[in-house]
Amino acid sequence: MAAVTQDTAVSTGRITRTFIYLVLVLFALFYLLPLYVMGVNSLKPLNEITGGNMMALPSQWTLEPWRSAWSTAQIGVEPTGLKPYFLNSILMVVPAVAISTIIGALNGYVLTKWRFRGDTWVFGLMLFSCFIPFQIVLIPMAVVLGKLGLAGTVPGLILVHVVYGIGFTTLYFRNYYASFPTELVRAAMIDGAGFFRIFWRILLPVSGPIAVVSVIWQFTNIWNDFLFGVSFGGTSQPMTVALNNLVQSSTGVKEYNVHFAGAILAALPTLLVYIVAGRYFVRGLMAGSVKG
Amino acid sequence: MGFLDIRNVTKSYGPVQVLHRIDIAVEEGEFLVLVGPSGCGKSTLLNMIAGLEAITDGEIAIKGRVVNGVHPSKRNIAMVFQSYALYPNMTVGQNMTFGLEMHGVPKPERDRALADVAKLLQIETLLDRKPGQLSGGQRQRVAMGRALVRNPDVFLFDEPLSNLDAKLRVDMRTEIKKLHQKLKTTIVYVTHDQIEALTLSTRIAVMNKGHVQQLGTPKEIYDTPANLFVATFMGSPAMNIVPATVVMENGHPHAALTDADGGVHRLRFSQANLAAWEGKPILLGIRPEAITDPEGADRKSGNIQPFSNRVTVTEPAGSDTFVTMTLSGKDVIARMRADANVTPGQSFDFAINMEKAVAFDPATEARIPA
Ligand SMILES: Nc1ncnc2c1ncn2[C@@H]1O[C@H](COP(=O)(O)OP(=O)(O)OP(=O)(O)O)[C@@H](O)[C@H]1O
Ligand SMILES: [Mg+2]
Repeated sequence: MAAVTQDTAVSTGRITRTFIYLVLVLFALFYLLPLYVMGVNSLKPLNEITGGNMMALPSQWTLEPWRSAWSTAQIGVEPTGLKPYFLNSILMVVPAVAISTIIGALNGYVLTKWRFRGDTWVFGLMLFSCFIPFQIVLIPMAVVLGKLGLAGTVPGLILVHVVYGIGFTTLYFRNYYASFPTELVRAAMIDGAGFFRIFWRILLPVSGPIAVVSVIWQFTNIWNDFLFGVSFGGTSQPMTVALNNLVQSSTGVKEYNVHFAGAILAALPTLLVYIVAGRYFVRGLMAGSVKG
Repeated sequence: MGFLDIRNVTKSYGPVQVLHRIDIAVEEGEFLVLVGPSGCGKSTLLNMIAGLEAITDGEIAIKGRVVNGVHPSKRNIAMVFQSYALYPNMTVGQNMTFGLEMHGVPKPERDRALADVAKLLQIETLLDRKPGQLSGGQRQRVAMGRALVRNPDVFLFDEPLSNLDAKLRVDMRTEIKKLHQKLKTTIVYVTHDQIEALTLSTRIAVMNKGHVQQLGTPKEIYDTPANLFVATFMGSPAMNIVPATVVMENGHPHAALTDADGGVHRLRFSQANLAAWEGKPILLGIRPEAITDPEGADRKSGNIQPFSNRVTVTEPAGSDTFVTMTLSGKDVIARMRADANVTPGQSFDFAINMEKAVAFDPATEARIPA
């Protein structure tokens, strides 16, 4: 991969290069501006925001808005801060991501290495599920969750997100495994490895890049989901819903500094995932498209 | 009954039949090569022996046990793949012992088997490397090592040398042959390279379009090809095929041919029963090395026929010189000693070893048996 990025770099003159960098820096500043506004305003007392310039640095630095957003702010009717909801989100997102990724990997393995009559149809239908808008499944999902007794619980949300995510994770893993040599699977069969042993010992160890893609994709989508959370969350609502309740609360003054801090808190995990695994993301998406 | 029996085996993919009633009995210790052009069904047959493809009809038996429907790992076979199929995440050592591990062989025993085979193949120093850190030839060795460690009844090779460069291919060919002579294992080996087939095998099955065209020793295949396909597929340069008419002279059948300048040559056949074909057209098959200069002719042959013809092209190839001429409207290649004094455009006195000539029926393309 390294070779590819080097080879594709177009050699340019100095003036063009300066110009390119200038434009890039401008774009970067433009995109970073909201983060800057959120950052500085979450670190100043409320009166500095209401009375002054949103762009200015705090004249009096404070962590109070962060503390408030995390543990004492009014969310709906309870003064709990975002902490319990953050926990809800974690409890929901970790199993949902893990389960949907594992199922996607197994599906991809079966659809490429254990082909059966009609497998392309099965895959086609799973692909189709990627294009179904959230809103369409709300009512059937509510019925199913009610029948299962999972309505308004974290396991219920996990189920919803797993079901909704399988289409995507299957797509990723199927395409990745399609370029995995079938001869290796045959060699393992002759060596005496069974269905799960081949998956576990031969395929999974080389699935790193695509697993990262699947995890990032699922994590971002599930963490940022609002609609399923607000519809099926009940008493175990995720972070996004809580953030909405925090910002929309109609009682008292609007504590913008607390809102900013809360918004950053809500975005932090996805940001972290991108920073840690981001470079594998591109690598995984590119896998198979370029040889070597 | 052989050690490995392939009895009337057919294979169809839906309505398409890719193998037609294959019937081969392989003896213990034999080196059987399946050879044929691309798409003739060699790999399919090999995969059916391995259990990787279902058998549509017929049966395959190993050591007297019918293995139709038996899982690949329970057939006691080992396979070397064209791509080597080494597990990329495991070291060479782990690659080679994976099969033993899956079969529940205890660690000390696995290590002993690994050490033996590593020594045999001289790959002891590579055992801790990953396949990605090996050269093509080393990978090839490891792939063979993985098969050897299992100590199987039958080894299956699917074009194991086709990914190597020319020089390494020749070296590895010799090595495989040595290994077979030393271990006396039963091998079924697929290739589309006819030289590999001739050098390695104890017997060859020449395949085309899902049919076995001929099954025999390399010498049988080379000297008495069953039909035109086998004659032209095996040997390099290919056997010359020239249309001729059978004429009788002094009570012997002769092949009548016309040279480049319209002159007629009559070459006496050694095969007496061709008298029955008097006046009829046949296809005369003659290998390039059976046409030489008179000094280079095979002295043990009882039937060297001289004839002269104009030379069109000469191609020196180091040890030999290939000479092209026209006979009965066809290009014919002769194989000369390197120092034969041949000039393009001029007439040359050739000697043709008619003991080695074969005749084919133009209608059926089958060889006319002696
Ligand atoms: N899954 C399949 N479905 C339909 N036809 C197939 C399938 N697999 C193989 N074939 C056909 O079977 C025939 C034999 O294939 P096979 O792979 O055995 O050829 P081969 O002799 O090994 O050729 P090569 O030298 O190119 O490897 C080919 O014509 C191929 O198109
Ligand atoms: Mg093949």
